Amino acid sequence: MTLKVYADRLSQPSRAVLIFCKINGIDFEEITVEFLKHQQFTPEYKEINPMSQVPAIVDGTFKLFESHAILIYLASAYPGVPDHWYPADVFKRAKIHSVLAWHHSYLRRGATGIVYHSIMAPLHGLTFDPQVPEQARKILPKSLSILEDYWLEGTGPFLFGNSEPSIADLSLVCEIMQLEFLSEKEYREILSPYKKVLKWIEDTKNATGPYFDEVHMALFNVQNEIRERMVKQSISSHKGGSESECIK
Amino acid sequence: MALKVYADRMSQPSRAILIFCKINDIDFEEIRVDVLKNQQFSPEYKAINPMSQVPAIIDGRFKLFESHAILIYLSCAFPGVASHWYPGDLSNRAKIHSVLDWHHSNLRRGTVGLVFNTILAPLVGLPSNLQTAKEAEKILMKSLSKIENFWLKDGRFLVGSSQPSIADISLVCEIMQLELLSEKDCDRILSPYKKVVKWIEDTKKATAPHFDEVHDFLFKAQKRIRERKATESGKNEVKSKL
Repeated sequence: MTLKVYADRLSQPSRAVLIFCKINGIDFEEITVEFLKHQQFTPEYKEINPMSQVPAIVDGTFKLFESHAILIYLASAYPGVPDHWYPADVFKRAKIHSVLAWHHSYLRRGATGIVYHSIMAPLHGLTFDPQVPEQARKILPKSLSILEDYWLEGTGPFLFGNSEPSIADLSLVCEIMQLEFLSEKEYREILSPYKKVLKWIEDTKNATGPYFDEVHMALFNVQNEIRERMVKQSISSHKGGSESECIK
Repeated sequence: MALKVYADRMSQPSRAILIFCKINDIDFEEIRVDVLKNQQFSPEYKAINPMSQVPAIIDGRFKLFESHAILIYLSCAFPGVASHWYPGDLSNRAKIHSVLDWHHSNLRRGTVGLVFNTILAPLVGLPSNLQTAKEAEKILMKSLSKIENFWLKDGRFLVGSSQPSIADISLVCEIMQLELLSEKDCDRILSPYKKVVKWIEDTKKATAPHFDEVHDFLFKAQKRIRERKATESGKNEVKSKL
């Protein structure tokens, strides 16, 4: 029975899992769960992931969610995955666990905090917390600085100065790609100070080409529409009305 | 050279590492980094963990931070650690990774948000946000519900296990932080969750006597905080009567 990957290509961790499977020749069936259409809340999907989030996998009878757990499982369970994705060496592996854990409270919290809570959720009638983006706007530049000055320190182009990418590079770069939903101006303002980060994004794309671009097409296909709707929304807010609603 | 563990017993993830080392007879030196006194920002500590957070370890020349990464490393690098702490079986191991990841954005976020904004921030004169505390409590209750109904549905311990793993120590140490709240609030929050309450007891027993010993510091802080609040509310009562 083929591996099933429940994913939404608009979700950063979903994209990381899809790209990983494709670059490693892992045979799988992609099943789309559109979170903007609330499909994660169906009883069928809740059977697979009771947390109602994407991605999730079903491998035979084994169900798993949380993208870092999935990436580690796939790297370990499927033959032929090169060691650099999730090294057997206990020290190298520990560092990957360290940056993946850091990611939750820093980069993910920053990027998702802004994009989900100020753009995606309000535009699509999903529950959001209007307090989150303010805090997220402080965490994001701090996280990018830490990436620039600490995690990307070393001779190689990838995290920890490695010469080849790991699951951590894929996970974190897919997260940063979510910032493409911001306006062009804001995206440039946020990212342009971080030269190493920008180069690392390109290097990760190249190391996973053509799958990186192919999987990210879904994001770029709706990017303009999202940007236009945000512009209209901010115009209507200035006029005293608002399209979005904070649902608690 | 013995393992060095940089920890503050007021910090939930620090306690998890200390208890894990003790229950597994891992020889280590505990070096206190007092977070309420901002010792995590000293240049010496930043050289060990540039994120200025506890815990961190140094094993020989190898430095590591993030408690989940540390727990996994210790399970793999030190001989004699029983396999139930971090199973070799890929599916069981994956489930442990899954709950540890879930923990970051759910239980931890809820607990830290609530305890920081209602107890710790006022204690040290930092700004606190009651709205954030309210939101954090919602996340906490939702998380406890998920633990009760999903993570503990198949066994005594998390993810259907009959023996504890690193995930049990990590998540139970997090919940213990709620002991800093008033007795009334702590009871109100936890008492609806019978399985969770039993699981906390089972995890304590499985890591005895180290669990209680490491948590002694927290309980001493709890007593001081509750006495202080009782004195303050006594003064306020007198003032309001005058």
